[in-house]
Amino acid sequence: MIFKKIESQHFKTLFYSYSEIFFLQSSLAGLLLAVITMININVGISGMVSVTAAYLFARFIGMSKSFLNSGFYTYNALLVGLSIGYLFALTPLSLFFIITAGVFSYVLSVMLEHLFSYYLRLPALSLPFVMISSIAYLASYSYSNLYVIGSYVPLDNPTLILPYWLEGFFMSLGAILFSPHVYTGILFSLVILAVSRIIFLLAVLGFYLGATLSGLMDGAMISAYLNINNFNFILIAIALGGVYLVPSPRSYVIAAIAVAIATVLLDAVQLFWSSHGIPAFTLPFNIITLSFLYVLKLVNFPLVAYAIRKSPEETLDDYISNLNRFDLVSPRLSLPFSGQWTVWQGFNGQWTHQGQWQHAYDFVIEKNGATHQNEGLHLEDYYAYKKPVLAPCAGKIIKIINTLPDNIPGTVDRQNNWGNLIIIKTELGSFVELSHFAHESILVKEGDSIEIGTRLGLCGNSGYSPQPHIHIQIQTSAHIGAATLPFVFQGYLDHQQFIALGLPPEKSHIEPLYAERSMEHKTAFILEQCFTYLAHDESGNTEEIILKVGMSPTSETYIGTPQGKLFFGRDKHSLYFYRLEGNDPWLALIFSALPRLPLLYRHSMSWQDCLPVAAGVRGWRRHWLNLLRAVNHRSGQLHYRAHWHHEDIIRGQLSTPAKNEEHTNIEVILHPQLGFERIRVGNRYLERQENAE
Amino acid sequence: MSTSTPKSKSNYVKPLITKLQGGMINKFGATPYYARKVRTNIDGVSIESLTKNFGSPLFVFSETHIRHTIRQAKEAFSTRYPNVTFAWSYKTNYLDAINAIFHQEGSIAEVVSEMEYDKARHLGVPGSDIIFNGPHKSIAALKKAAQEGAKIHIDHFDEIDDLEKVAEELDRKIPVAIRLSLDAGIHPQWSRFGFNLESGQAMDAARRITMGGHLQLIGLHCHIGTFVLEPDAYKTQIEKMIHFGYRLEETLDIHIDYFDIGGGLPSRSQLKDTYMPPDISVPAMDTYAEKISEGLNNALRPGDYPKLYIESGRALIDEAGYLITTNIASKRLPDGRKSYILDAGVNLLFTANWYKFNIETDRELAGLGEPSLLNGPLCMNIDIIDEGTMLPPMPRGTRVILSPVGAYNVTQWMQFIEYRPAVVLITEESKPLVIREGEDLSDLLHREHLPDHLKLNQPS
Repeated sequence: MIFKKIESQHFKTLFYSYSEIFFLQSSLAGLLLAVITMININVGISGMVSVTAAYLFARFIGMSKSFLNSGFYTYNALLVGLSIGYLFALTPLSLFFIITAGVFSYVLSVMLEHLFSYYLRLPALSLPFVMISSIAYLASYSYSNLYVIGSYVPLDNPTLILPYWLEGFFMSLGAILFSPHVYTGILFSLVILAVSRIIFLLAVLGFYLGATLSGLMDGAMISAYLNINNFNFILIAIALGGVYLVPSPRSYVIAAIAVAIATVLLDAVQLFWSSHGIPAFTLPFNIITLSFLYVLKLVNFPLVAYAIRKSPEETLDDYISNLNRFDLVSPRLSLPFSGQWTVWQGFNGQWTHQGQWQHAYDFVIEKNGATHQNEGLHLEDYYAYKKPVLAPCAGKIIKIINTLPDNIPGTVDRQNNWGNLIIIKTELGSFVELSHFAHESILVKEGDSIEIGTRLGLCGNSGYSPQPHIHIQIQTSAHIGAATLPFVFQGYLDHQQFIALGLPPEKSHIEPLYAERSMEHKTAFILEQCFTYLAHDESGNTEEIILKVGMSPTSETYIGTPQGKLFFGRDKHSLYFYRLEGNDPWLALIFSALPRLPLLYRHSMSWQDCLPVAAGVRGWRRHWLNLLRAVNHRSGQLHYRAHWHHEDIIRGQLSTPAKNEEHTNIEVILHPQLGFERIRVGNRYLERQENAE
Repeated sequence: MSTSTPKSKSNYVKPLITKLQGGMINKFGATPYYARKVRTNIDGVSIESLTKNFGSPLFVFSETHIRHTIRQAKEAFSTRYPNVTFAWSYKTNYLDAINAIFHQEGSIAEVVSEMEYDKARHLGVPGSDIIFNGPHKSIAALKKAAQEGAKIHIDHFDEIDDLEKVAEELDRKIPVAIRLSLDAGIHPQWSRFGFNLESGQAMDAARRITMGGHLQLIGLHCHIGTFVLEPDAYKTQIEKMIHFGYRLEETLDIHIDYFDIGGGLPSRSQLKDTYMPPDISVPAMDTYAEKISEGLNNALRPGDYPKLYIESGRALIDEAGYLITTNIASKRLPDGRKSYILDAGVNLLFTANWYKFNIETDRELAGLGEPSLLNGPLCMNIDIIDEGTMLPPMPRGTRVILSPVGAYNVTQWMQFIEYRPAVVLITEESKPLVIREGEDLSDLLHREHLPDHLKLNQPS
């Protein structure tokens, strides 16, 4: 049993190498691709031998399995093997040549991958393959012996059965795996179409744009369409249109521009390379894609995909839901007070939050529309006056001013704009500044370490402050008056709604929230813990499923079944699920029932979320939605809203995008000690069978 | 009544000689003359229309006042500590309408008996939003509360045994809290409730709970007294509780989710035998909040914000309640004092035992103030509402409005020789609504059974 498991993992890695060439991670697709390459047995076997040699060598030198499993480090070896097999028939001598080249391309892959990612923040793509295959082809000129026993006549392309423009496409596609035949091309495109519609469409677009442009330059359309090297256009379109950039119209424009440039580059490379007797391979693709990617990352192009998933569809789904659900860039602050306060001025406020000081917030306490009782002539009339100011972050106090007087209401101190203040340096290196403390009210000293919620002092009216209020900003340096930087507030209540991350609008009444210990205990999942559930589907069938808490090599925690993984994380106020891998409908059910669990109970508190398509939609509609969203990110959004019905009981609704919106009811019952007792979405539900082991 | 008196001839009033004095010598200016207070309405509804429509005596509650008070209290605490929840103390006043206002304002329920527990559940409060305190909880009550997820606070060792039986029966671990008694530096020290901290009994209880394995200790509760006028006592209390919580964590690996500091906060009412008026003698809610948050700040580890429950009752409802009574007769006592007989006495005003009420009349009264007694309608000598106040002669039918009476009176009132009166809530739109009807004979009779052989007027 164990032996079998290991075996299958080995094979998976091999097949992943095949699918990786089309930027996919699917062992089934890889297997099919591998089988198709066997049409030319020489090419097929050589590829297999080369990738196996690379894999065995990698294991021999002790590369960890988790890195190897993806096929990421071995697909260059595969390409090299295929390219040599395309040139020489299988003989003991050519086998030796293939094995050497395979191992070398693995070594070069790892080295280039590391150098590129370290110095350039770029992938090495198939550059190792271009280098090794070029070397192999050059070296082979002097290997007369190999030519004598190993040369063979590759399969002839069968006579034209399709129009030239169609045939050209399939041939180019086949050429990517050194099988430039119409039939193999058709088979490859079927495999791609089954796994990713986005990749297939990008391949089509890249090919026709590139080939047409070349044809126009050349003046010979037929030969342009039938140029085998057109696969470079296909690869560029896929890589920039959907893999390294998130699929979206803007990415397609960039991919199109890149393909257009590649037509020129390809012609130049072809000419130069062929003078040395070697094919262009994927060199144009590598040069164009890497240079574009480098520049796009440099200018912080927003659609650069920072997490590349198993297919563009998954990357897109992930990107959209992460963009809607998490702000992964801005530093996070807690609100610097306790209880309900009101936003007086936000970012880009109309009075003082302007220009380089635009990223700041002011808070007052407001009741029935007024910030003070009586006529507001005295400081004591103001509700905010002398109320505690709490630390918005953990860090170290690096600057304090505490001696300025509180102004009479309506007057300001123009000499000392920032008034009595505290500057905190956070653990992540941000400088957080809080202003207008009451005279001599600051309780901390320079050098003190503080936690979120530590009492810093009392709200006052010192500095440029006409009424008592708290001012907060993140600034570029420790100097008073430095320019401000954007940030977000975490974990607060706005009109009974829990906001995990956000910027409250002006005049909103907001209250910071703190996680409750009881909820922390109820979600304290420990690795290897198992939970047994009885799963009831809509037709009343039941099956037992076991959920196990695990950790990925990248230190991400997940709940797993043999069919998939549901990744979860936690922040200061919530436990949240953020990614679904594999194809387990019950993990998808958990995701759609509870994308985020606030770690605190407030009667009738509600919250909203956006779900990835993978979590909330099943069957063909999922594919359709993914395709729709590849054109328009805003279409087909899945909305989730939930509220505390009682302590331990959450009820909500999932709205699936359709012409007539469909609503599915949700109920989650927490277990009094740990985890979930029951999770229901529509008619399907999971029921806990026993306690955690 | 008094209006029907013919105007032609004024009532005879016995002459009275009183020593001329410049008022009681004090620095607050509360001379008998200026201390006279007139109240013609409550929240815009006239006393006259209230008595006309709902009779006298009549309890009147102000919704505006209740909401204002709980919001103020919440603000005082929540702006100083970020994890505070109020638990409405049912025993103080458990009329459904009053409870509902507090629940609407975000308070959970604090009950001390099965009866109160049932009342809260009947109102629609989920079990998980009920704190179940008190020294008497039957096995049946414990089982119900455990099943419904209530926060059960254990008072004594026998209750641990009972709850363990319940846990075994339900086959599940029950989360519980224990009540502590401790020395917070005030007198009297309430030591009959809960487990004593200083003697080590509380630690024994925690050990006992851990050893039993059926209960999970998640909370600590303590209630140091009633009408506590010393804010520092709460600071001492919360510090001791938190230190104990950390000790439990270190020694028994028990993690305390919440601390319940009980109630006992005073209202703005004057205790008998106090010289200062309550505006001066009773510290503001903000002062209590500040002291408690100071204690939390001192004792809690950085970054640790366990939930704090406050079971305040009296301070939130007392001043929102009025009792309208009517002067039905007066007489001169042999010692020269004037005695007025009102239609409500200690049968309705349990707190008359220790409060000196604020006395207001529905009209301006002419004449000099004279030492007067306010007596109730009972045929008992102890039925005295105020035994020494200065009032000018008060005609029959004058409405006397007593306040604050919102706390404890409508839960501890007696059905002794009189029907209990109606209770009216004046809404925020100044609309009076009956929230409890006045009683009649059927209230007395519907639980009684007269055996056949005792029935009178039977045909023989």
